[in-house]
Amino acid sequence: MRISNLQKNFDRFSLHIERLQLPRGEICGIIGANGCGKTTLMKLMAGILPPDTGQIDTEGLAPQDITMVLRKPYLMHDTVIRNLTYPLKLRGIKPDVELVEYYLELAGLQDDREIYAPGLSSGQQQKLALIRAMIFSPKLVLIDEAFSNLDMESTAAFEWLILERQRTETATYLICAHQLSHIQRLCGYVFFMHDGRIEAEGPTDEMLLRPKSQRLQKYLQYASLKEGAADGIPDS
Amino acid sequence: MELFDAEILGIIGLTLRMTLLSTAISAIIGIPLGLWLDRANFAGKRLVVLINRTLMASPPVVVGLVVYLIFMRNGPLGFLRLLFTFEAMVIAQVLLITPIICGIVYVAAGRNAARIRMFAVTMGASKRQTRFLIIKELSNEIFFAVITGYGRAMSEVGAIMIVGGNIRYHTRTMTTTISLLRNRGEIEQAVVLGVVLMLIALTVQIIADFLRKRERRLDENF
Repeated sequence: MRISNLQKNFDRFSLHIERLQLPRGEICGIIGANGCGKTTLMKLMAGILPPDTGQIDTEGLAPQDITMVLRKPYLMHDTVIRNLTYPLKLRGIKPDVELVEYYLELAGLQDDREIYAPGLSSGQQQKLALIRAMIFSPKLVLIDEAFSNLDMESTAAFEWLILERQRTETATYLICAHQLSHIQRLCGYVFFMHDGRIEAEGPTDEMLLRPKSQRLQKYLQYASLKEGAADGIPDS
Repeated sequence: MELFDAEILGIIGLTLRMTLLSTAISAIIGIPLGLWLDRANFAGKRLVVLINRTLMASPPVVVGLVVYLIFMRNGPLGFLRLLFTFEAMVIAQVLLITPIICGIVYVAAGRNAARIRMFAVTMGASKRQTRFLIIKELSNEIFFAVITGYGRAMSEVGAIMIVGGNIRYHTRTMTTTISLLRNRGEIEQAVVLGVVLMLIALTVQIIADFLRKRERRLDENF
């Protein structure tokens, strides 16, 4: 996906991306403080929001090839299994029983298939949304903080799934996360956003270990402290 | 008039036909109108919503009077000769119920349709699939709107009294009959008919509750 001169204006915020290229088949990360425009950019890429000006070149990808997992996923008023197979139903694909079982097991929902999905816990809802976004093998997957409510075991399982799918199906991923450990484990390339713009971009190691932008340095400092505190690591 | 004689059964049948038909017509108009109103963006939308809200609470006798004035012999549609007919009663009820169904659907769509639409985009749904999904996801609210409209139709007396005329064997409904029996002092029969009306309302609610059992499953999860 290639973006040029993309602009989206709101009352109190404006997003302006001069140039952005998502390397095909890569897992990319997007980081930045709250309100810097990460979700807006992803929604523009997913076709949820129309741009005011600028170009989004999907490089041959149809809208059906692109999906986005939102931070607060929408689950239909139906069972877990019907939610999971919904994208297949839309495409007229008969669900592969083995594949469905595999995804249910991965998400730990194998015994909950007939449960009313909106009644699941927030972590289970996120897991269901993640497997639902992957079951139809989209070419571009945008994940907006969808790991935020997952336990450590589930996080590891989904990280493994993403790495595996990217390796076997060469899908492109753009993952927005505040936990730098996710970004470090998963992503080969990182974008840093600030105030509606791409402030810096580059390979993950270069961005996280040798940041050139002062704003990025400051962001990483705070993000590491927060993550360290959350993981029980002393700040100093 | 004996309890449950042919006349009473005819009145019950007429009431059910009138309320079901007027609710069905109102649903056909009101549901798409409510969904469209949520999606549409035009100058004067707020005014349209305000007018609809006002119509939701419009007094039945006023609506009855308007329909009467339209269909009276010298009225603009007097040539149709619909006054004091079953059709005129249905028209009056449709005018009463449609704003209610439209208003409830509009509020429900305003709360949820944008999220559903966003989800549909992320799943790669077509426009037709998205429309179908929105209706499916809002089905509980739509159902509630229709049931509320039906309740209004069942309880209504002022408008159909004016445009129907409460003519025996012709436009006499359960509510207008109850009103008539009370005027005649036949309180016992009025009460019995009122109980029958309540039982019909209860039956409708039981059917509605059965169809909405899916919603209850939310509480069963943990």
